[in-house]
Formats: sequence, C-alpha cells, structure tokens
Amino acid sequence: MSLRDWRPRGPYPPAPSPVRGGGGDGWPAPLPRALGRGVPGRVLPDFTLYAALVRAQVSAQLQYRGSFVVQAVGQFLATFVDFITLVFLFQRFPSIAGWTLGEVAFLYGLGGLAFGISDLLCGGFDGLSKMIRLGTFDRVLTRPVGTFAQVLAGDVQIRRLGRIVQGMVTLGLAVSWVEVAWTAPKVAVLVSAVVAGVVIFTAIWVIGAAITFWTVETSEVTNVFTYGGEALVSYPMPIYAEGLRRFFTFVVPLVFVSYLPALYILEKADPLGLPPVLQLCSPIVAVVFLLVARFCWALGVRHYQGTGS
Amino acid sequence: MIESTDLRKSFRVHKRESDGPLRFIRRQAVDVEAVAGVSFTVGAGEMIGYVGPNGAGKSTTIKMLTGILQPSGGRVRVAGLDPARQRLEVAKRIGVVFGQRSQLWWDLPLQDSFELLRHIYRVPAEAYRQRLAYLIELLELGSFLETPVRQLSLGQRMRGDLTASLLHAPPVLFLDEPSIGLDVVAKARIRELLARINRDQGVTILLTTHDMADIERLCSRMLIIDHGRVIYDGGLETIREQYGDERTVVVDLAEEAPPLDVPHATVTRTDGPRQWLRFRRTETTAAEVISSVAATARLRDLTIEEPAIEDIVRGIYERGDRRVASGGRNN
Repeated sequence: MSLRDWRPRGPYPPAPSPVRGGGGDGWPAPLPRALGRGVPGRVLPDFTLYAALVRAQVSAQLQYRGSFVVQAVGQFLATFVDFITLVFLFQRFPSIAGWTLGEVAFLYGLGGLAFGISDLLCGGFDGLSKMIRLGTFDRVLTRPVGTFAQVLAGDVQIRRLGRIVQGMVTLGLAVSWVEVAWTAPKVAVLVSAVVAGVVIFTAIWVIGAAITFWTVETSEVTNVFTYGGEALVSYPMPIYAEGLRRFFTFVVPLVFVSYLPALYILEKADPLGLPPVLQLCSPIVAVVFLLVARFCWALGVRHYQGTGS
Repeated sequence: MIESTDLRKSFRVHKRESDGPLRFIRRQAVDVEAVAGVSFTVGAGEMIGYVGPNGAGKSTTIKMLTGILQPSGGRVRVAGLDPARQRLEVAKRIGVVFGQRSQLWWDLPLQDSFELLRHIYRVPAEAYRQRLAYLIELLELGSFLETPVRQLSLGQRMRGDLTASLLHAPPVLFLDEPSIGLDVVAKARIRELLARINRDQGVTILLTTHDMADIERLCSRMLIIDHGRVIYDGGLETIREQYGDERTVVVDLAEEAPPLDVPHATVTRTDGPRQWLRFRRTETTAAEVISSVAATARLRDLTIEEPAIEDIVRGIYERGDRRVASGGRNN
C-alpha cells in the first residue's frame, strides 16, 4: 500500500458515535487493554518500520533529483581522487611492506566499500548532537520504539551512494589486478568481510554518538576513528607502529575490516604472527563490538534521562 | 490515570566562579531542585490545567510523566505504569504535543507524517482510517493534507501535531503550550477539539498553558506550581471565590478626565474617557464606587469585571500567598 492510497474524497464519514468504553475500532476504554507485545526494547530494530522511515526520506530526497545526482557524482569523484593518489604512489614505490598495488588496492576497496555503506546507514548517529541541542531527542523518548532504532533510521542520505559506488569500483579493479585462486570459502570471506566491516564502522558511529550524551558537542575524535579508520584500513597493518596495531586489534577492531580477510583471500603470510584462524573471525568480532556499542548507547540514554540536556 | 506522589527532580548545575583568574577552571557543582515534591492525582476522563510561572517546574514535571526524564525521587504512574521503567508501554498509551517543537516530518506532506506514525504506533488500518477521517473533519485539515509540513502556517502545523498525537487513540494526552503563537480562530478550533475528545471519548488531558482563557474554557480543575511545588490544586470556582475579592469597574465617562479619586479604589488604566477602577470587595462595594464616580463626573456607561484567573494567579505569585494553597486541596 503506497503512502497515497488512502485519501479522503467527498464528504467525510460521520464521527464515531460518542460511546465511552470504545469498541474494536473506536477510542479505548478509560482503562486501556494491553496493546501489542510487551517486550521492553529489542535487540534488532523492526525492519518494516525501518523500511517505511527510510523510504519516506529517500522519496523526499529524490524530489531534488538534480541535486542528488550532482552530490553523488561529486562524492564519487572526490573519493576516486584518493584512489588515483594511491595509484600514483605506486608509480614511485614498487611495493609497501611487501604488498603490491593490486593488493593494497584490495584493502582500499574493501575498507572503502564497508565504510561507505556504514556512512549511508549511520547519518542519524552523526546528527545526534544536533538532536540533543535542539531538544528533538525528547520526542524520540515519547515514542513506543527503541531509541537506537529511531536514531538509526533518522537520517539516510542517498547522495552517499557516491562513496559506495567508488568502493565497488575500486574493489572491482583490485580484484582484476590481483591473481587470486577464487574458491567458495574465499568468496564467502569477502562477502562476510564487507558485512562485518559495515557493522564495525557502525559500532564506531554509535559509540561516538553515545559520547555526545555526555559532551553534547560533537567530538572530532569520532571522525578520527570513522574517516581516519577508513584511511587506516586502506594500508597493510605492518606499516603502523606496534602500539597503534595493538590498539586497532584489541580496542577498536579495525584490523578485522580489511587486513585479516585480505590475508586469507590473497594467501599472504602475516609478519605480525596473529593466529590464522582470526582471518575468518570478522563476523564474530563485529557482532561483539556492536554489542559493546549498544551497551554504551544504553548508558548514554540513561544518562540523558537522568540529567536532561 | 495519572498519579504523582512526592515527585522530585534535581539537576546538577555547574556554576562558574564569578571573577578571578580561576573562573574558567574551577566550577562549583550546585544542585537545583526543579521539582520539589509534587503530588496530585488525575482521574480518568478529567481535563486539568497545569499552570505556573516560567521556571516553576512545569516542563520538568511533564517530562517525568512522559518518560523523557527519570525522577530523582518520589513515584509517578501514568495509566498504572511507571514511565521511567516501562517507557515503551507508557508511550503506546500517551499522546504528547509540544507547542514549540513539532513531531511532524518537515519535508514530507502532512499525510505522510500521519502514515509514518501509523507504522510507529502500529495502528490497525481500519481504526486509523476512521480516526483520521474524524480528526480531519473536526480540524478541517482537508485543504492542506498534501502540503509539506515546512510550508504550513503555525496554526495548520499545530492542528497537524494534535492530529498526529491522537492517531493511536491514547487514553491520556499531554499538551505543553499548544496554543502559543496562535491566532484567535486557531485557538478556538483547538479548544473545540480538546473539549470534544474529552467529552465524547473520555480522553484524560493534562494541559500546560500560559493562556488562561484555555483553562477557563476547558478545565474544571487547575494545578498551580511555583518553585517546584504545587501551591493550589482545586476548581476554578474555588480559587475565584477565595481569592477573587478584587473586582474592576470599567466606567465610560462623558468626556476625558484625569484619573478619578474614589475612596478605596485605584485607577489602574485610562483610555480616553474610559477608566478602570480596581477595588476590594472587603473594603467597599461596587455600588459605593459607582456612586462616588457619578458624584464627581458624568457617567455614561459602566461594566463590572470579575477577576480573571490570570490576575488571581499573578497575585499568588507576587504575594507568595499561601493562604490560597491551604484553602484548596493541597497535598
């Protein structure tokens, strides 16, 4: 049923009879019956509701078709320039830490695609600071839907498809440049790495947003881990100092976004000595990290309800 | 329907030192008690006004009733549930209208906002259709259902907000300054809707407003809050009787004259030949005031005004008068 299927035509139907106590379709009795399920909060958002909210935003943005095209193309070109820079880098150096252009491009494409998709999905978390400052987060708390789900569906910008397309193009180019003996497990690891990458970046957006419940102002620190994180995962881990590597393995698990899955797919040896089984663990790590992020979110909401804004 | 028992809310506010070089570094934490023990009960089907000066704690109370804030102390129940502990269940049973912040989607047509809210509140299709038709008719939304919300006038947007809050047929409705900034016609429409749904559907309504006309026309009971405490809880008639010992006689003289000097009465305002004389019933009577005026000037016409609730309430604020509170149903 489209949004416009029901429209009043002609004289409106008469008002329901003023019977207190209500029938099945009227106003409820003064003491309400239980409505709907009684589960307080859910782990996964309600997907039909999410779809409806996203569809409404997309249709509103598509009204400005010219603007959308210009912005999406612009974003594609801007991010593609990054890729060109990478290619030029490899005209100067034959390899980086033993990784060739094709292999590094693979990291770049994988990280870029995962980040691009998460950027498209998580606009709402980026805008949380504004919601808190303007007081519109209060409205979120008066609705019978979890706060996480509402904010997640709150701001989907279709112009961000530009970055996603760029990620797909660069990943496609990289796949054609490297010599890989493709097997079913490798394809599965590639797909699950993209999904896991999206989840890990999403968790970073969520944690960054949760912090604004305390600080109110947006923290640029979040961008260090989101945009900065995308840049980080575009290069092989061995080029980074040990402290940084440890941090991004055990604290913010970005190493699972592109480096470890790439080791498996490209059949490269890992000079860092991490157990090879970890190369397949991206999905598990992503889920655990997301749970941590959800917990931080819940703490943040509780803080907001205690202190107002 | 709504029960509040010794409800409290404190905020920790960080104050800077007023001067000195350390003022940017050292900050004192001060606890401000915005709500300091508010107790009241609202039964099903009642419509009550919740008034108080700015900063009295009205918005904070509403936020605690609707699940936005957690109380620091006391107990609150809405439709038998705790808004802080059972937020989702309470949300299904309440409608909330914030006068200054719309809940509609800015870029979408009004109709689409309603449709999205139908999804959010899981309203069955048939019930939604009937209810929406009813509200569209009452509030005359038909002409701008397809208009994006950002293009609506304030009055239209407020009618849309009110409709949006009622789509899921909540038994309890909270309104925080719904008529702010509206013209007379728009206010009348909203008042009519509120009166209708309260009378015909038994919706319990808690109305916060600065417009005393709303209260006088809609509510039979009023709570006055000041400095975080309820200073009056009772009917409008009671407060008028107990506190309404001031009246005003408005005299139209034959020609303009300097402010009249009448014993026991003060001229509060003049406008050409018209003068407003305020007096206390305990000190003199209307008849005496009128005779004094007629003796000193040529009187053409006169009216006697009862005190508006606004003046009474202002008097309570200004005088910090507790004798009214003890007369009403004070908890």
